[in-house]
Amino acid sequence: MRVVLGWLREMCPVDLEVDDLAHVLTMQGANVEAVLRPWAGLSGVVAARVIEVRDHPSSNKPLWIAQVDDGDGTHQVVAGVGNFHEGDVVPWARPGARVPVLDVELGRKNMAGETSNGMLCSPRELAVSADHGAILVLPPGTPVGADVAEAFGLDDVVFDIEVKPNRPDLMSVAGVAREVAAATGAPFALPEVALEESVDEAADAATVEIRDEERCPRYLGKVIRGVAVGPSPVMVQARLTAAGMRPLSNVVDATNYVMLELGQPLHGFDMARLAGPGIVVRPAEDGERMLTLDDTLRTLSPEDLVIADLEHGVGIAGVMGSADAEVSDTTTDVLLESATFQRRSILRTARRLGLRTEASMRFERGVDPEGPGRAADRAAQLIAAWSGGQVLAGTIDVGHEHVRRHVAVRPARASLLLGEELTARDVREAFGRLRIEAEEHAEDEVVVEVPGYRVDLEIEADCIEEVARVRGYDNIASTVPPVRQSGGLQPSYAFRMRVREALVRAGLRETLSLSFASADDLAVTDDHDAVRVANPLTADDAFLRTSLLPGLLHALRHNLHQGVRSVAVFDVGRTFFPREVSDDPSVIPVEEHDRIGIAMTGVASSGWPDPARQLDFFDLKGAVEALMASLGIEGWQVGPPPGPLFHPGRSASVTIGEELVGEFGELHPAVGERLDLTGRVGIAELEMAVLARHATGEVAYAELPRFPPVRRDLAFVLPAGVHAAAVHEAIVGAVADLGVEASLFDVHSGPPIPEGHTGLAFGVDLRAPDRTLTDDDAAWAVAAIQAKVAELGGRLRAG
Amino acid sequence: MDAAEALRTLDAELERGRQLFAGAASLDELERAQTSVMGRKSTFGEVQRSLGGLPEDDRREVGRRANEVRAELQAALDARREQLQATERTTRLERDRVDVTLPGRPPRPGSLHPLTASEREIVEVFTRLGYRVVEGPEVETDWYNFTALNIPEDHPARGEKDTIYVDVPGRSDLLLRTETSAMQIRTMEREDPPVYVIAPGRVFRQDTPDPTHMPVFHQVEGLAVDEGLSMTDLRGTLAEFAKAMFGGQARTRFTPDYFPFVEPGGQLEVTCFVCGGSGCRTCKESGWIELLGCGMVHPNVLANVGYDPERYTGFAFGLGIERVALARYGIPDMRLLYSGDVRFLEQFTEVS
Repeated sequence: MRVVLGWLREMCPVDLEVDDLAHVLTMQGANVEAVLRPWAGLSGVVAARVIEVRDHPSSNKPLWIAQVDDGDGTHQVVAGVGNFHEGDVVPWARPGARVPVLDVELGRKNMAGETSNGMLCSPRELAVSADHGAILVLPPGTPVGADVAEAFGLDDVVFDIEVKPNRPDLMSVAGVAREVAAATGAPFALPEVALEESVDEAADAATVEIRDEERCPRYLGKVIRGVAVGPSPVMVQARLTAAGMRPLSNVVDATNYVMLELGQPLHGFDMARLAGPGIVVRPAEDGERMLTLDDTLRTLSPEDLVIADLEHGVGIAGVMGSADAEVSDTTTDVLLESATFQRRSILRTARRLGLRTEASMRFERGVDPEGPGRAADRAAQLIAAWSGGQVLAGTIDVGHEHVRRHVAVRPARASLLLGEELTARDVREAFGRLRIEAEEHAEDEVVVEVPGYRVDLEIEADCIEEVARVRGYDNIASTVPPVRQSGGLQPSYAFRMRVREALVRAGLRETLSLSFASADDLAVTDDHDAVRVANPLTADDAFLRTSLLPGLLHALRHNLHQGVRSVAVFDVGRTFFPREVSDDPSVIPVEEHDRIGIAMTGVASSGWPDPARQLDFFDLKGAVEALMASLGIEGWQVGPPPGPLFHPGRSASVTIGEELVGEFGELHPAVGERLDLTGRVGIAELEMAVLARHATGEVAYAELPRFPPVRRDLAFVLPAGVHAAAVHEAIVGAVADLGVEASLFDVHSGPPIPEGHTGLAFGVDLRAPDRTLTDDDAAWAVAAIQAKVAELGGRLRAG
Repeated sequence: MDAAEALRTLDAELERGRQLFAGAASLDELERAQTSVMGRKSTFGEVQRSLGGLPEDDRREVGRRANEVRAELQAALDARREQLQATERTTRLERDRVDVTLPGRPPRPGSLHPLTASEREIVEVFTRLGYRVVEGPEVETDWYNFTALNIPEDHPARGEKDTIYVDVPGRSDLLLRTETSAMQIRTMEREDPPVYVIAPGRVFRQDTPDPTHMPVFHQVEGLAVDEGLSMTDLRGTLAEFAKAMFGGQARTRFTPDYFPFVEPGGQLEVTCFVCGGSGCRTCKESGWIELLGCGMVHPNVLANVGYDPERYTGFAFGLGIERVALARYGIPDMRLLYSGDVRFLEQFTEVS
């Protein structure tokens, strides 16, 4: 809501600087998001009388040459439009003047051979309206030489206020002024309404009938006759523009002006175009069509409420009028609507039609049900004043009056909630500041009479919030409750954090991807059964993801495209799988699985100081091993290659006991090519819950060995196809009495290794718990190892 | 060999030894020189072996002299060895010299995502205060996400423009949770008061990605329900949090706000951690950063889970992790968080 400060001060003459006022409102919960100065930069524009206008004699484009008098003499100005006449008073920006739309001072310039001293201003150039098709003609009585900014309020400040959905009363200048008054103690008064009414009765000029009083509890009509439609006063146009509305004509502007001022949406009908003339408020017929003011043909249903004349619909209630009965240049008699509509009804219609208007936004949040009368009178008064019309006597008033709610507030309850001892008097005083009636009924109860505009005050807690607001939220003290429990993490949460930290230690960077998947993403992992999103914004989020891998592959590709040469990342997040819908509505038929995804590609080292190489299967497996080790999972195994996403010779599934944990390996080169990922790409995806079941948390100290090991490097030649893991097992199992640690340090094939064989070299540490081993002990152990490896078809290489 | 000859020989060998040692260019040469001068088969050795054939007096004199010569030779040898060792050490060090401006061998450090790092920090503050962490599903029902939280049927937040719904035939009430507040209900349904929990997690809104919006973001929800809890407890708890998160100098500002599941409702702002409150681009010149929404649990919410709102009161707060992370690290665009860009991620190595 944009509030022009000068307008607010008309109702609440508060004596505060702009910044202080903004602070006061913000602390009250009406957050001033921006302080706008739409007329900043306007200076030196004065009212000048046109002495003479003539066509420019020698210009190709139409130009007019005017002589204007600013009281200090006559000046020649060249204008691009000629809508003004001799005797008119116009805004003249003299050389040296500034206007908001231009960055530079105006000067003297030559226009097709004629000197122009400054310029004459259009409404847009003065930020009065968006109109740039004509020079603004000021009211005839404007004193020549007067400063235009000062005379028409074009030096004001505008607050842009964030209105919370529960406070529709703040969608009006009056509502905001009321808050300022409550916070500062400044006086507050609504604009005075003084109507001069003719002897003719409005009730004789038109009829009103409500056929659905639930959706339209009240409908008031005023009649104004003999209006002359034309522009509204300059200041009014300027204020509407500053508030974000478009000035149209004196009659329409009056309805909008009063809506902004008091919060009551109004509508003016051209009586000559109303059959009857009469108004019927009724549900729309099924399929009823209406051409609304925005030039759109709308199809309605009985869910919508329609304002009709005695023959056909002339507006969608509380949302928008139709083009049929719209006020136009030729209108002379106006029927003014000021009504109350049910919030939900307007909300549904506006939402269904996708039509949000200043009126619907107010009605759907709640307009003061006590307000239509004052607003109708105020608007009638302004129309009469600005258009010369005559207001007929009385108001056509149909429907019922609002009955105020009463809410009981217990000071003891307020004290408990606010953490401060509050008496009945404190509570009453708070409401006094808000100008809301509150009476002490018993010693322990104050009854608040809720005015219509405060739709948010429904229960005791709502009213206690008001007490807190008036006393100042920021004055609330600080205490820390004694929590009688020790804090802690849910095991699943703690485990996930442990996994992340382990992967970080393994040199991976955590990344996040969105939880959605496109059909293409599902195709990558060959998933056919995914949870569908009902209202996806784009095809990219048509499904919920079933795997973290597509997101990670996107990340790899993004990095490679950016010229990043080494990427090793992980993601921890949920994946989603559809399950059978059960009869129990508390069972959500979507299973969520926490997964760990890993992806890496690019260089492992750049060549300095180690040999250059690419990340590959073994870097990936190293990360998986590091993760398993740090989770204390020992008995995990690799199994057969997992599927078409993976390189068949460089991938494996992971199991612990009988349970499948996931899979890892290099991306199948054909898939990589399709995804624009060349080079080796390592990917892994593991199931969090399975890991959690097998992880161990305990760390137990093991005694340090007292005697140093004897080291033997053993190089074996084995038939190709014997797994390194089997050889390792043979070595370690060969000498049961000694401690044996073996680690692979070389794998090679080709000469001198014979065809069809592989060379595997292990560093073997032999150790006895009670003595240092001798060379003889070692020789005996090596012989035992040799024998065991021979069972696999292997032999020790000579030398 | 007579005594005089022996003495001469000793002097000559002493001189020869000194010269040989001094002339030795390496430890190897020095060792050869030692063998040549002082070894078993050396002239000096011959003199010593000949001692036995000398008369008593001569033997004593020559023997004494031989010992003197041996000591002198040994001293000359040691001195030269030390010299040569020092030289050799220097040479070896010189050979080892590297261009110290060559780049180092880089470790491959990992890193946590800035959102994870921020979440971990937030969670730690509250677990220290005695809160337990709870978690729940990301696909929720409209009961937990809206209805039980006192959000009316017609509330705009329920619309398809704001909420992402899940398409499961036979179930029209499934959605991606729009706030971690759903965990308030799940927790209270399961447990009796007192309840002190926080619920971190991923939430979803129907937003097109731009610098300040993503369809996915993260929150930490807090809920405390007990006998006698008041707004001062809420404020105090949040002040503790702000202090722990942003340091002792951080001040907080408490203003009214509206959320259907709390009443009274409020918003907590913290002095801008970029400018310290004097106004800058990060805080839009206001000096304050909006940190979280909060309030006293609405009596309808307590009633919805079967708690007696007359006996129990509570407070709740919901904090956007992105807001904390973005402001804290000066990240200009939310989309960066989901780009997977390593150049972005590696900037957070230090916070891991």
